[in-house]
Amino acid sequence: MTDTAIELMEVTKRFGSLTAIDSLSLRVERGEIFGLLGPNGSGKTTTINMISGLSRPTSGRVSVLGVDMLADPLSIRRSLGTVPQENALYEELTAEANLRFHAALFDVPRKGLEKRITSLLELAQLQERRKSRVSTFSGGMKRRLALVRALLHEPELLYFDEPALGVDVQSRRALWDRILELKARGTTVLITTNYLEEANVLCDRLGIIDRGRLVALDSPSNLRRSFGDTVLEMRTRPAPTEDIVRKVRALPGVVSAAASNESLKVTVEGGAAVTGKVVTAVVESTSLEEIQSREPSLDEVFLSLTGKELRE
Amino acid sequence: MSLRHNLRVVRAVAAADIRLTLREPLFAIAGVVIPINFLLLFLLFAISGGQAPIAVVMDDRGPLAEQFVQAMNNSQSFIIHTASSADAEREIRAGTVVAIVTVPQDFDAALSAGTRVDIPVEVNNLNVDFTNDIRRAVPLSITSFYADAFPDQVVVHALESDAQAHDTGYIPYLAVSIVVAGLMLAALLQGSVNAARDYELGTVKELALAPVSRLAIGLGKILGAAAVTATSALLVLGVVILLIGVHPLHPLEVLGFGLLMIVAFLALGVLVGTLVRRRQQAIPLSIACVLPLFFLSGPFGPANWLGEVPGAIAAVSPLTYAIAAFQHAFHGYQTATQDLAVDTMVLAGFTLVTVTLTALVFGRRGVAR
Repeated sequence: MTDTAIELMEVTKRFGSLTAIDSLSLRVERGEIFGLLGPNGSGKTTTINMISGLSRPTSGRVSVLGVDMLADPLSIRRSLGTVPQENALYEELTAEANLRFHAALFDVPRKGLEKRITSLLELAQLQERRKSRVSTFSGGMKRRLALVRALLHEPELLYFDEPALGVDVQSRRALWDRILELKARGTTVLITTNYLEEANVLCDRLGIIDRGRLVALDSPSNLRRSFGDTVLEMRTRPAPTEDIVRKVRALPGVVSAAASNESLKVTVEGGAAVTGKVVTAVVESTSLEEIQSREPSLDEVFLSLTGKELRE
Repeated sequence: MSLRHNLRVVRAVAAADIRLTLREPLFAIAGVVIPINFLLLFLLFAISGGQAPIAVVMDDRGPLAEQFVQAMNNSQSFIIHTASSADAEREIRAGTVVAIVTVPQDFDAALSAGTRVDIPVEVNNLNVDFTNDIRRAVPLSITSFYADAFPDQVVVHALESDAQAHDTGYIPYLAVSIVVAGLMLAALLQGSVNAARDYELGTVKELALAPVSRLAIGLGKILGAAAVTATSALLVLGVVILLIGVHPLHPLEVLGFGLLMIVAFLALGVLVGTLVRRRQQAIPLSIACVLPLFFLSGPFGPANWLGEVPGAIAAVSPLTYAIAAFQHAFHGYQTATQDLAVDTMVLAGFTLVTVTLTALVFGRRGVAR
């Protein structure tokens, strides 16, 4: 059995003249939680569609659980559980009817099915609502039911699209706990998310994709570190001038510096020594009223890699 | 993937689609009630348009006067009742009769004496269709009355020879066309709503990601939609057979052509649903796609009587052949110039084309746009 759950090799996908994915190579190991991040239109959905066999690459190769997608898509689908963003539940059927329908599609053995449905619904705290129509469920309940459905056929690989989308804090935590339990049991989990706290909490590794290309691939902590180890936010009076920004940027160990209103935001690499030099440079030119020091966030890493302009 | 798994999927998909249709009242109503509504509308149209209600004022009750009214009755153009002059006037003003025909006081005496008789006809010419019916049918009634009452004086006679073994009334003819409309609309609406629903809810992904052949899913969907369509078609057939009294001469032809129609229009419906992906849009679009074609395909009379341009459109419309085939199945005659084998081949070919086209479009557009 291969250690690789998903492997994309030089995958390109074109829609007419548009190159949605450009020579993307990526490997997801078995048993890890891998997060695929990217702004809208970056190519996340196209990548996932190719991994799940809904779309064929224009060139390159996609292999899932050691099986070539084009050679045996049915065997891959059997091992893949999917929780799509829109839940894809039949709202006018009961929770149980949705699960039994899925069981038929995935040929889950009838023997033991009742017990499996009950235990999964109990785990998702939905057992009392098993006979209720899905249309009466809250957003969080629908999300949990979609997860139960994806797990019904015991997939080796689970794809979860935006786990926290449209759910309250409690449901979000419950879903995260379930995902972490799956990892503990050896299931590989692939998530796509725009919610970076979620990626931070859940993912062993993150791939950031932009304009069809992989722009970063590492653990959340390493990604943050690659952006610098400390972010300094300083409020000055008068407001920092362009001269101060240039002066700070020129200091060794400064990764970035930017002024906005009365504050100066500086990312540094090199700890206290660099921080000290930055503070000295600032107080030489202006009056420092307040300073905060913290670790860089994934949001900052994400924005620095993909830019701030809006994407549709 | 085993045969057992395939059958399990076919059954589950069909059952889910039936349940969903029944649990979504709006769409169930659209799929079942719209064809029934068409049946009722067409029948009302046929009944109200076929015979004009008129009041006859009998100022003479002689045997010739009675015979004249009988001739009017036999013309099958009027719904006649006798009334006093005052009542008849009230009725025409109230709009409950189209015309008043007055048989004058000296009707019998004048005819016996061989003198001219004027029959006053007061018409409410609000609707030119009814007005023209009256203008045609009153002289026709006079002619047929005269031929019966004074056979020696009317020496010109029409010698009719019939192309068909028996007459078919307008309503029995129309009823069969309505069966075709019912089948077409029910199948089209079911197909389009079912397909659009899976896109709207995103469940098309659940189906596409299942480790099963598309064929098994497609078959399950066809069976589910066909079951609902068949229920709707049976309702229409029930009304046609039990209420209107039109019985099929060849029930197996009804079954065979019915199945072809259901599959062809289900496929066409799935095509519409796949393209628009929204149920609210799929319903009106489905109706708008086929209804004009239906009216140009000879539902009220043989298509080849329609004239040059409508006739040319009718010649390429598969519905023309469907209506002709069903007229044969019910009444045993051929309404068109082509024979039944051609109708069958056109319907089978149309079914093959719609199924193939739908499979191709679904395959190309699929789940991910």
